[in-house]
Amino acid sequence: MRIKVDFDFCQGHGVCCEEAPEVFALNDDGELEVLQEQPDEALRPKVEKAAKFCPTRAITLAN
Amino acid sequence: MTASNLVATEPGPAAARGMSPPVLSGGWPLLGHLQELRKHPIDLFWRVRNECGEIGEMNFAGNRVVLLCGVDAQEAFFRATDEQLDQAAAYPFMTPVFGRGVVFDASPEQRRQAMKNQSLKDKMMRGHAEVIAGETRRMMDRLGEQGEIDVLDFFAELTVYTSSACLIGREFREELTAEYFRVFYELEKGTDALAYVNPDLPLPVFRKRDRARRHLVELLTGVFERRQARGEGAKKELFDILLTIRDEQGRPRYTIDQITGMFISMMFAGHHTTSGTAAWTLIEMLRNPGTMKSVGNELDALFADGSDVSYQALREIPMLESAIKEALRLHPPLIILMRKVMHDFHFKGFTVPAGKLVAVSPAISNRMPEYFRDPERYDPSRYDAGREEDRQSFAWIPFGAGRHRCVGAAFAMMQLKAIFSELLRGYEFELAQPADSYRNDHSKMVVQLAQPCRLRYRRRVAPVVDRAMEK
Repeated sequence: MRIKVDFDFCQGHGVCCEEAPEVFALNDDGELEVLQEQPDEALRPKVEKAAKFCPTRAITLAN
Repeated sequence: MTASNLVATEPGPAAARGMSPPVLSGGWPLLGHLQELRKHPIDLFWRVRNECGEIGEMNFAGNRVVLLCGVDAQEAFFRATDEQLDQAAAYPFMTPVFGRGVVFDASPEQRRQAMKNQSLKDKMMRGHAEVIAGETRRMMDRLGEQGEIDVLDFFAELTVYTSSACLIGREFREELTAEYFRVFYELEKGTDALAYVNPDLPLPVFRKRDRARRHLVELLTGVFERRQARGEGAKKELFDILLTIRDEQGRPRYTIDQITGMFISMMFAGHHTTSGTAAWTLIEMLRNPGTMKSVGNELDALFADGSDVSYQALREIPMLESAIKEALRLHPPLIILMRKVMHDFHFKGFTVPAGKLVAVSPAISNRMPEYFRDPERYDPSRYDAGREEDRQSFAWIPFGAGRHRCVGAAFAMMQLKAIFSELLRGYEFELAQPADSYRNDHSKMVVQLAQPCRLRYRRRVAPVVDRAMEK
């Protein structure tokens, strides 16, 4: 599973950080940082929720 | 192919100038298509699409506006940078509403900073949901057993309270009365497209707008003075903080007029949009009783365990969400989104030169038959798993798309879920007019329901289950 974030779209709402804090975090400037681009399969349900509830649809998953 | 590789974002010799977009027929001398925009804007945009295709030019009193239709053209629009396509100069009818020097005079970088509005962060949503549920109950307390409401007045008033409580501050909200929503409504009605000729023409519509704004400044001045007299300024709500900021010379940084402008701008984006969507969701559910029934059952089941609205509104309520999304698709609050071209904009062999405007129409896009099956039909099932027609990010665009996608979209959905969770469990509604008599008034750039738009209501009878159990 590989995570792609379209930074043209991200507005830093932080929904993904609530859904999958192991994978996403906002830095002090309110910008999104992807902590793991290829997280463990065990995190898939959380990451899928992060993608689903992203208000700007900026997150996609490959594989 | 994505549209991003169709667009040369850098100016310079490499980007050879392409053809000029076709010009829409039927323009008047001087005014161009302005009267058509003021009377039948959606028909005008359809005419561009049918006559010119993906790209066609309209003329609003000398302002050349190139409408982009279809997902390729819309993706190019939504992906462009602020440096290439600027929002600032595209909305002349808003400047006198916000006041000079407020919001749209900010640089793209300042606006990016402002987008990180703390109050819209995910972490804040639970508190907002509680406030919204509470405000809805306060409105319901006034309804009594049965009666009639004007659905525009009802939701316009409710959303003035919710927006001000969530985005500005709860104490500030307590200062507001119904007078504010009427003044706010006057302000919204002041967005006549005649502003493309000149936003300060000596016309009744603009005089009313300016009077409403002055009235709002007076009302807010009263709020500030009362708070200061009571020594409440130390409580540090947003307006206390704004009032105490000093410049280098130690003078107040902002005048009440400027703070009023900031408050108007903060509330404006979330007010008529949410209010209109709430009204249309309710009207469409009443026109489609099957949807109303399944949403009602969904809510009853969801809250059967006595759980809190502020908790549920943050979670999935699939039927209700689809009902709202479908109202948004058919009745998008903003029917045209515009940008000013700062560097020549290229699309499939066409060039829009710097200085013109480009636009996208959610009202057209959301009903394109290529992307929406049976597009004129209110059909919430188009969002069911497997179909999910809203996943077409550059076709389903009630909130826009890309880097300027509505920053309040998540807040708005949560707000609507909280409102309907309270309202539909407390009351039953029915249409008080012929079903096809509810329509939008498009004579101003801020679209509102045309009045009258009345509904009848009756308090719901409590569930009958317990009676039998007691015996």
